[in-house]
Amino acid sequence: MAGEDAKKKGTRDLRREEVGSASLMELTRPHVDSFDYFVERGLEMAARGLHPVEVTHPFALWIEKPIISPPMKEHSSQALDQRLLPSECRMAGLSYRGAFTADVCLQWNNRTVVHHNVSFGKMPIMVKSSVCHLRGLDERQLLAVKEEALEMGGYFICNGNERVIRLLIMPKRNHVIGVKRNTFKNRGSAYTDKAVMIRCARLDQSAITIRVYYLQHGSATLGFSHRRQEFLIPIGIVIKALVETNEWEIYERLTAVQKEIKKGSKGAVGTQFVSQRARIILEEVRRHALFTRHECLEFIGERFRPVMDVSNKLPSAAVGEKVLADFVLCHLDNPSDKLNLLIFMLQKLFALVDGTAAPDNADALQHQEVLLPGHLLTIVVKDRMQDWLTKVKGQLNNEMKEKPAQFDLQDFNQVQKMFERVPPSDISKKVEYLLNTGNLVSQSGLDLMQAGGFTLVAEKLNFLRYISHFRSVHRGAFFATLRTTTVRKLLPESWGFLCPVHTPDGTPCGLLNHLTAVCQISTDLDARGVVKDPLWTRKAITTVLVQLGMIPAIPALARVAPPTHLTVLLDGRVVGYMETSAIPAAVAHIRHLKVAKVPEVPADLEVAYVPCTSAGMYPGLFLSTTPSRLLRPVKQLQDEGAVELIGPLEQAYMEIRCPDGGAGGRDNAGSRATHEETHATAMLSVVASLTPWSDHNQSPRNMYQCQMGKQTMGFPAQALAHRSDNKMYRIQTPQKPVAQTVAWNKFHMDQFPTGTNAIVAVLAYTGYDMEDAMIMNKSSMERGLCHGQVYKSETIDLTHLRQKGDGIVNVFGRPAASSRFKETAEKDAKFIDSDGLPHIGQALVEGSPYCSVLNTMTGQSKVSKLKGSEAAVVDYVAAISTGAKDPLQKVIIRTRHGRNPQIGDKFSSRHGQKGVLSQLWPDIDMPFSAVTGMRPDIIINPHAFPSRMTIGMLLESMAAKAGTMSGQFVDATPFKKCTPQQDESKDGSKKQKGTHGSAVDEFGKQLAKYGFNHHGTEVMYSGLLGTELTCEIYMGVVYYQRLRHMVSDKYQVRSMGAVNPVTRQPVKGRKVGGGIRFGEMERDSLLAHGAAFLLHDRLHACSDYHTADVCSLCGSLLSPLPQAQSKGGLGFGMMGLPSAGGRNKKAFCRVCNTSRGIERVAMPYVFRYLAAELAAMNIKLTLSVTEDQ
Amino acid sequence: MDGGSIPAPPEPVTYLCGDCGADNTLKPGDVIQCRECGYRILYKKRTRRIVQFEAR
Repeated sequence: MAGEDAKKKGTRDLRREEVGSASLMELTRPHVDSFDYFVERGLEMAARGLHPVEVTHPFALWIEKPIISPPMKEHSSQALDQRLLPSECRMAGLSYRGAFTADVCLQWNNRTVVHHNVSFGKMPIMVKSSVCHLRGLDERQLLAVKEEALEMGGYFICNGNERVIRLLIMPKRNHVIGVKRNTFKNRGSAYTDKAVMIRCARLDQSAITIRVYYLQHGSATLGFSHRRQEFLIPIGIVIKALVETNEWEIYERLTAVQKEIKKGSKGAVGTQFVSQRARIILEEVRRHALFTRHECLEFIGERFRPVMDVSNKLPSAAVGEKVLADFVLCHLDNPSDKLNLLIFMLQKLFALVDGTAAPDNADALQHQEVLLPGHLLTIVVKDRMQDWLTKVKGQLNNEMKEKPAQFDLQDFNQVQKMFERVPPSDISKKVEYLLNTGNLVSQSGLDLMQAGGFTLVAEKLNFLRYISHFRSVHRGAFFATLRTTTVRKLLPESWGFLCPVHTPDGTPCGLLNHLTAVCQISTDLDARGVVKDPLWTRKAITTVLVQLGMIPAIPALARVAPPTHLTVLLDGRVVGYMETSAIPAAVAHIRHLKVAKVPEVPADLEVAYVPCTSAGMYPGLFLSTTPSRLLRPVKQLQDEGAVELIGPLEQAYMEIRCPDGGAGGRDNAGSRATHEETHATAMLSVVASLTPWSDHNQSPRNMYQCQMGKQTMGFPAQALAHRSDNKMYRIQTPQKPVAQTVAWNKFHMDQFPTGTNAIVAVLAYTGYDMEDAMIMNKSSMERGLCHGQVYKSETIDLTHLRQKGDGIVNVFGRPAASSRFKETAEKDAKFIDSDGLPHIGQALVEGSPYCSVLNTMTGQSKVSKLKGSEAAVVDYVAAISTGAKDPLQKVIIRTRHGRNPQIGDKFSSRHGQKGVLSQLWPDIDMPFSAVTGMRPDIIINPHAFPSRMTIGMLLESMAAKAGTMSGQFVDATPFKKCTPQQDESKDGSKKQKGTHGSAVDEFGKQLAKYGFNHHGTEVMYSGLLGTELTCEIYMGVVYYQRLRHMVSDKYQVRSMGAVNPVTRQPVKGRKVGGGIRFGEMERDSLLAHGAAFLLHDRLHACSDYHTADVCSLCGSLLSPLPQAQSKGGLGFGMMGLPSAGGRNKKAFCRVCNTSRGIERVAMPYVFRYLAAELAAMNIKLTLSVTEDQ
Repeated sequence: MDGGSIPAPPEPVTYLCGDCGADNTLKPGDVIQCRECGYRILYKKRTRRIVQFEAR
């Protein structure tokens, strides 16, 4: 083995070395795992959850065994490798899709079921999912299929673009929250602002939100939405319809909370009003003359029959049962479970009304989870499949009505024909549409708050930006429209799950958050990757709980309530009641089992014990095993630091201490803590954790760095040669930062570096570094500092020009030398090859032709020329096949544009210190160090520091200076003091870190050792005068990022150019060579300065200066016409405009019929336009023309 | 497109297969497919002409 040989020799074979992408794979895991769920289980469950459609009563239609296969090439392709690989999709602008098939089952009169395999089109497939060809490939194999060695997947390829489904915040499933909202009052006259709600999610991820509203007279109604319409049912009727019970039992169970009030102890949730309300609820049912369960079911059934899509023969009671099963608490299948939960909800509602429990904050992460891509797809496909079944049913019904004689339901071919009328491939097309546009088309709304903005393009500008797409969590499009800022607030509940630093400022601030680097999302898999069986898990956990002293909910014997007993809910199901005093011990035991990897207790179980408080959150023990909850690891103190995964709801009631040994702002916390943070930086996102010494910076500066890090030119992709992104930025000489955090290596940032270590002097030199400008050493730039390129790809697809029945008319090719265009053709030949495409490596300047398309019918050629003033080099030309027999019809031409630093380009350090390059200063004129003679690469102004307080940058400068001297990378991980010392001992040999003392002292000592000033300053000489600078200058090494905002993309200048044809004013827009608006405020400013001539020049002479003929007799601007040479001739311009030759000819007024009063007046052209517009609405504009005084 | 209308048939241009890297010489009207492996994305080969850049 070559690798082993290399090891023996003591040399490293870099080609054989694996980087190990596990930590990166972890970042996109929520996406990939959820898509695996969609393919492997979700689709199956969705198909099972569909309502079978019954055409005539004995004829049923449903879908079974949906299967998605890996992407394959078209059948016509004769390629050896029939797999369709992602790289080919990216290059050829294809979509990465695999066949989606399912069995459509027909059953007639309970006879044998007929299975028919139907193709439902091609479903988009997530890269690196279980049906992707890249799954399981190692780094070398990935390179072989032209992918990144560290490909993480998690995105879709739609028409060659990489698109990601956004993670969205959703209300936590199967979790009851109490809310106070004024909008509830709009439901009706008796409605109050208080309600409890629960988002019930079935196993196939489809969800229905149930709300129980409190009414002023003490009763409550249950509401849910169906087809975007809300239905309300009195709660008493629902309760009675659920199970066969009597009023005494309902009353007893509702009032169980009331018994405890006498004690008046902390955590009592019932008041004396509860019994009155229970009575009101029961009386309400009586008033409807409903006494038995059957009557209640019939009552519901009759009312819901029109919206339920059931056969007329079904009795009302059965319809009522269907309503309860499908809509009311649909996550539970057992009516008595539903009843238990409804009772719990009512008790919580009453506690909320009476003020014995506080309303929950729906904006807090405690009550939230995320919508995962795979789950979204599952519910969308389920919705589409149901829609398709309904449409097929409509077709079958129509056919039977119209042709009862010919149409035979039992004839399979006839039924199949009906399928084709409602194309089954629409299902996949709708999903593709969702991915392409982010818009969701659905009649039911799918219990989602928004209809658009579900997807975004995963831009590969640099690695930070790319990875952030997968870690971002959006609050929902609806909240962006809210005027209140409450949803945007950073809440303590988000601690450790959402990064407090990494959110953009501006419009999406606080709505677009990013998961912390360690944050995970729960799945339906257990720790070993085996699918959890919900029923088995439930039984196992219930058994454990009963062993710990829980009174099971079934049989319903106990009438207990807080504060003595708390309700135990598992995934929104009341499983029992537990004595309050026994709960803390039980919780501790369950946590112990959790980390002990006992199969009964899953590792991602959330054990939220909400203790009894005076009017806090409604107490209870809430356990969750559901997928798509946020999770994060913390250390357990009792189990020797075993790592436990905790959720946001339980976190709020846990004591987690920080490893810094402090009390966390409390007086006596240390002893009570049961858990400890794994690391102080665990609260940061991937991007935020890369900022060195971010704990020394003012917090907004770290936010700015998170944004600027994502705008940096870096090394975007290693598979650069196999990509055809519209625009890609790349720096030529990237480096590893000398000062780097632990996260830098953890996330393999060395593979995608984003900047350069520059020698930075903090000094006010020449004045060109004022106001955040910076001076760069010209020679440094010329030696390659921050050199970069922009790659632009252009796709030329001639199939779009094709017209029906014409065949292939347009081809790539050079016009023949003998043709009419000989001269130009010869000139173009230097640039264009004989195939009509450019030579690879050809340098192009503005206007250079690079592609020629021949029309074989007309013989004419259309030549594409390079736009913009920037020179470019042809990077590659890819010929893409468009069909099995087509000649060359589609090419991608990628050009490379050199973008070396020039004045006006933007740079930034990693501490939110951005600046614009203001001078490329000659090396000989740069100040130089007295000791080393070194000239800085970059000079920044000292004023950048006092107000911004980015001490981290000063530290970095010093530390990296010491690091470059010692030849070692410096650990710049923030919160080092809060980290246990064990980290240090591991590689203690590397760092001689002072046990105490500040970082400044530590690096100061090192600097002193290498002969530098202890404080990082240096004596310097002026490069211009050769004199010593009066003060010592702070000079060191700082990692500088080059941002993508460059002048060559932005500069805009014009003196003459395009004008608007209507107003004759200059157009706007950089692309069309327009100007920048000299607006009202600019006008005011010149006015205030009294610069009247300048104002006149800007707003008139350089804009729409115009001289017009005005008739001073009638005052009209429109009636003067140029003197007609021949009457009725064509010499007239339109609307009285002077025609081409008639400018100097005397005009005459058509109204006064004379040219006596005609005067030539200067005016803005729009004024004339105004006159014409006014004339069009019958208003005459009269000008009184007088002599100048 | 048969190339008959053009008096001197243009010299063929060499392309590289995007998958196996084999040389493919294409004349106008040829199907875009590698002769070796059947892959349907071809890259044009770098020109053999001297490409001179302005050294500035």
